[in-house]
Amino acid sequence: MDITLEGIVIIVGDFGSGKTEVAINLAVYRRQAGCDVRIADLDLVNPYFRTREARRQLTGCGIGVAIPPEKYLQADLPILIPEIGGLIRQPAQLTILDVGGGEAGATVLAALYDALRHHEVTMLQVINPFRPYTSTVEGCRKVQRRIEAAAKAPITGFIGNANLMEETTVEDIYSGHDFVRRLADESGLSLAFITADVRLRPRIDAGRLSCPLLPITRQLVPPWKKAAAFGASAPRGARLQTGGV
Amino acid sequence: MSKILMKGNEAIGEAAIRAGCLNYFAYPITPQSEVAEYLSRRMPEVGGVFLQGESEVAVSYMIFGAAACGERVFTTSSSPGISLMSEGISYIAGAQCPAVFVNIMRGGPGLGGILPSQADYLQATKGIGHGDFRMLVLAPASVQEAVEMVMMAFPLAEKYRNPVMILGDGLIGQMMEPVEFHDDLKVAPSNKDDWATNGMDTRGSDRRNLVKSLYLDPEELNAHNLHLKAKYEQMAREDVRYEAYNTDGDYEALIVSYGTMSRVCRTAIDMLKQEGVEVGMIRPQTVFPYPETAVREAAEKKSCKKVFAIEMNMGQMLEDVQRAVCGLRPVEWFGKCGGEVPTPEEVIDVVRPA
Repeated sequence: MDITLEGIVIIVGDFGSGKTEVAINLAVYRRQAGCDVRIADLDLVNPYFRTREARRQLTGCGIGVAIPPEKYLQADLPILIPEIGGLIRQPAQLTILDVGGGEAGATVLAALYDALRHHEVTMLQVINPFRPYTSTVEGCRKVQRRIEAAAKAPITGFIGNANLMEETTVEDIYSGHDFVRRLADESGLSLAFITADVRLRPRIDAGRLSCPLLPITRQLVPPWKKAAAFGASAPRGARLQTGGV
Repeated sequence: MSKILMKGNEAIGEAAIRAGCLNYFAYPITPQSEVAEYLSRRMPEVGGVFLQGESEVAVSYMIFGAAACGERVFTTSSSPGISLMSEGISYIAGAQCPAVFVNIMRGGPGLGGILPSQADYLQATKGIGHGDFRMLVLAPASVQEAVEMVMMAFPLAEKYRNPVMILGDGLIGQMMEPVEFHDDLKVAPSNKDDWATNGMDTRGSDRRNLVKSLYLDPEELNAHNLHLKAKYEQMAREDVRYEAYNTDGDYEALIVSYGTMSRVCRTAIDMLKQEGVEVGMIRPQTVFPYPETAVREAAEKKSCKKVFAIEMNMGQMLEDVQRAVCGLRPVEWFGKCGGEVPTPEEVIDVVRPA
């Protein structure tokens, strides 16, 4: 099983579910597979730790990045740049829209409704069951309904992003996978993939999982830690092998 | 209880609830607005109240009113908002009411910027408002510590009948870390029947309690100020908190740093250790009362040649470090403003012995 997402992929989820880290790593993963990738920072609600913080790593990988102009990067203003409309009208092979948290963050999608309605879009909800309010299936469904109402568009699948940052164990990855699998089955929606820190990946039994696994090389780190470099030179098969039976 | 992943601002809100505080009044401002976001959802679930004031000035008097009635109450804001609250904080300190104020600092002066900063150190520790008063000020360095300090802040505020401030920089509010809540930190209010206007029937008393900061008689006002002074001296005796890092053996230099800046320094100290260079650190957890004895004793170590105050401002705690070190060692400052947090490499360049 591999992640073969193409077209317009919108990443949504509750506050702090890990949307941006997932979006950045998904962009790089697909780029390394030879896909033409563009990513847009549509986070109008968070002041820190946004896609724009990883712009140099992304452009360095050959990924097109649509973010507000440099002089407004650190403003807490809800800036929706006009390039987004063009990005949707003429999408790349994979166009990722990283949306801000919860229904407040998803409201921006309703503003893009006219541009989006001509396309088939994949809208994926990121789930971290170690976050408040999304530790139960019912909690996740409630967030789903709120986001759908704000975005005026349906969520089409889930991304399992179970983690406690550096304290995440392999057991947490398995239980997180089982949780989001149950959520997907009960909702009748797809489970696109789950994530795990690249350092945990060698210890994860692929046969234990029912979906692909996206390795995460954490980019949004506090100043006393270093963001690890994406292993661009590693042979793709060896580094990015995904789970499955 | 098992750990969950929380943004600092959410964890601060949850910690207040776990401490038994069900009254939250606030006005949104970056980078702390998620506290209000979180509590607007969470307070109704636990039967608490979140009321958004029409301004921070209004909020500070909502706090005063609730605190005067003996209710556990807190607010959160960021630098410009805290300035607006300073009048109310002075009244609260003058009237000896317990309340908790959280300042998730951003860069200044004026509107400044929204990125992390420690620019309000002097304001918090020396004189947040008019009149002659101090607050007990706790400076967390992690989300977990912010949780614990919020839970400790309420009993401390009640012990001293005085405002307590949590002084965190923007990163404390915005970063996400795994946290757990220790319910044993929840301590019941102890003394409010002695002073609060919580109703004579409620406390079964025939004595009225009066809460005020007005003292027109000069002798009475002097006595009141002497009483407040005695409280601050008691804080210095009983509630100084700090953490020492890499100070057991010899070290060539001593860093004094607090909040998330101290975590950058800790990384720098670990990196220097690998080069065979030893540097120690004192991290004040209370910045008022200041751990001056700990700083002086660590600076006095024979191997220590120099002391560095490292902070995200232009040298505010520096004055406290100089006061503590008393000229026994040279004291230098390093820091940055504007939201760019110094990197471990920059700290190393500054503290590495020549």
